Amino acid sequence: MKFTHLTITFTVLVFLVYASLIISLFYFFDARHFLQALLSKRTLFAVKLSIFAATLATFLSLFLAIPAAYALSRYRFFCSTFIDTVLELPMIISPVALGALLLIFLNTPVGLSLQTKGVQIAFTVSGVVLAQFVSTLGVATRLLKAAMDEIPTIYEDAAKTLGASPLKAFITVTLPLSKRGIMSAAILTWAKALGEFGATVTVAGSMAMKTETLPIAIFMRLASADIEGAAVLVLILISAGLGILYGARALTKRAMYM
Amino acid sequence: MPKIELSQISKGILKNVSLSVEDREIIALVGPNGSGKTTLLNVIAGLVKYQGSVYFDRKNMDEVPAHRRGVGYLLQELALFPHLTVRENIEYGLKVQGYGKAVIESRVRELIGAFNIDGLSEKYPKDLSGGEKQRVAIARALAPFQKILLLDEPTSSLDPQTSKYLRIELKNILKRMGVTTIFVTHDLLGAEEFADRIAILLEGSIEQVSTPEELFFNPKTERISEFVGTPNVLSCDECRVLSPGLVEVRSKSMKIVLPYEGSPIKRMAISPHDIYVSNTNPPGPMLNRFRARIRDIIPLRSLVRVRLEAHGNIFLAELPSDTFREMNLYPGQEVYMIIKFRKIRLAE
Repeated sequence: MKFTHLTITFTVLVFLVYASLIISLFYFFDARHFLQALLSKRTLFAVKLSIFAATLATFLSLFLAIPAAYALSRYRFFCSTFIDTVLELPMIISPVALGALLLIFLNTPVGLSLQTKGVQIAFTVSGVVLAQFVSTLGVATRLLKAAMDEIPTIYEDAAKTLGASPLKAFITVTLPLSKRGIMSAAILTWAKALGEFGATVTVAGSMAMKTETLPIAIFMRLASADIEGAAVLVLILISAGLGILYGARALTKRAMYM
Repeated sequence: MPKIELSQISKGILKNVSLSVEDREIIALVGPNGSGKTTLLNVIAGLVKYQGSVYFDRKNMDEVPAHRRGVGYLLQELALFPHLTVRENIEYGLKVQGYGKAVIESRVRELIGAFNIDGLSEKYPKDLSGGEKQRVAIARALAPFQKILLLDEPTSSLDPQTSKYLRIELKNILKRMGVTTIFVTHDLLGAEEFADRIAILLEGSIEQVSTPEELFFNPKTERISEFVGTPNVLSCDECRVLSPGLVEVRSKSMKIVLPYEGSPIKRMAISPHDIYVSNTNPPGPMLNRFRARIRDIIPLRSLVRVRLEAHGNIFLAELPSDTFREMNLYPGQEVYMIIKFRKIRLAE
């Protein structure tokens, strides 16, 4: 067997691992039950909450991540390498541990005063958003930094010599040029937030019709041995996730200017 | 008016560089790769931090950021904004500096006309040829009424014909607009055609600033002489106009034909790499072809210098080492020597 064929065989094997898992869902597929579960109040609530929380968490992450990614991409400053490493924290520690970190923080005097003076976080929708925000912020910053690294600084230099201040050069040149990267980062961040479970369940708990996102709903259906119901929710999550990822890939592949 | 003065500039390879450029002057900064030419332009544009001082019209610019210096800069990579059309690229500087619609409209029209890019307004940079990109980039650099223009190898990516045409056209536009220009190149011939004066930058130091003629005939140091190409300088003993645009010059007993523009000729300079040496009589026109004898051979790193004697004159010719090896030349040998007709420089 040629080396090329061998590597392609491995690719197919990798695909089959996931494909067989997805196909197995259809073993429990029953059209009537599917529609019933899909249109149930609890499922619709979980879908709505997941979309709302993931969208809000994505916006919050991007709001902080875009300028932070620009600074990390363009400047070398005190602790920049350390900060860059810390961004990987949500990727290297267990999401439950990240959720635990958040809960511990909320029980410190600072966290408690934030909660008494501001928004209640533990076991609320705010908690869901915060958990997803913390889980995605590092990834979003990393993805955006990679997108901005690809934009040569000469465009900003040219803009400056034409009279644009650094802020104006960023808004009129760097942002439009990294539009594809930003959109792709936003979509991936959203998909990650949508599928977030560990940190969310630790901070916001698993309260039906209150903090029940899609992954939490799947967990709760399984806990009550409702495999058909879990399969429906998994299908929804997979369809949304794969659709979004496919869209992101198509978007990053399409050449716009170059 | 924007006279540029650089005082004791140090940055990277640059060591205490001082240079003065007169108002409306075009100065060429010439030097080999890595000599610090682009770094010096970045210093003037305010894109990098540096030691020393930069003055525009006697005003210290050291604390003035790049976007307030009013310097047009054509970067070597051109850096046309790929997400904007040609028109939007040219308008960019005017818009960010807050010019009104009418001013923007008339300035863009003026530049599009001057650079002959009328049909390209709505195209994106990816749809332009190399020459078109250069024109658009220069028009964009000049658009916000910049009185200082820095050009980094503006014609390096073009074929020799387009490059020469663009240089001539650009020189006329810059003189008409009264723009003080510093132009970076490693092409000495291009610099001669374009600039009022040439500054030679070698290993981070400016070694000589002079007119092209002075530089070629009187290189100040051995290093410059080596960079310029240690020209063969011949006296002009007698001149005879053969036809309009053509003159025959006698130096000792040698008669050389060259293009003639009507000014009196006192001396001629021929670069060693503009002399062709052959041990057989090559085919082609007999113009400026002489029998010569090899006096001695000086091997250098990648080339070989051959000292020739012809009609009472001594010439240095340069050959690439591999060509020299193939020709099997030796001292005392009789060879043919051809002087490239269009490469002869004249001093009045």
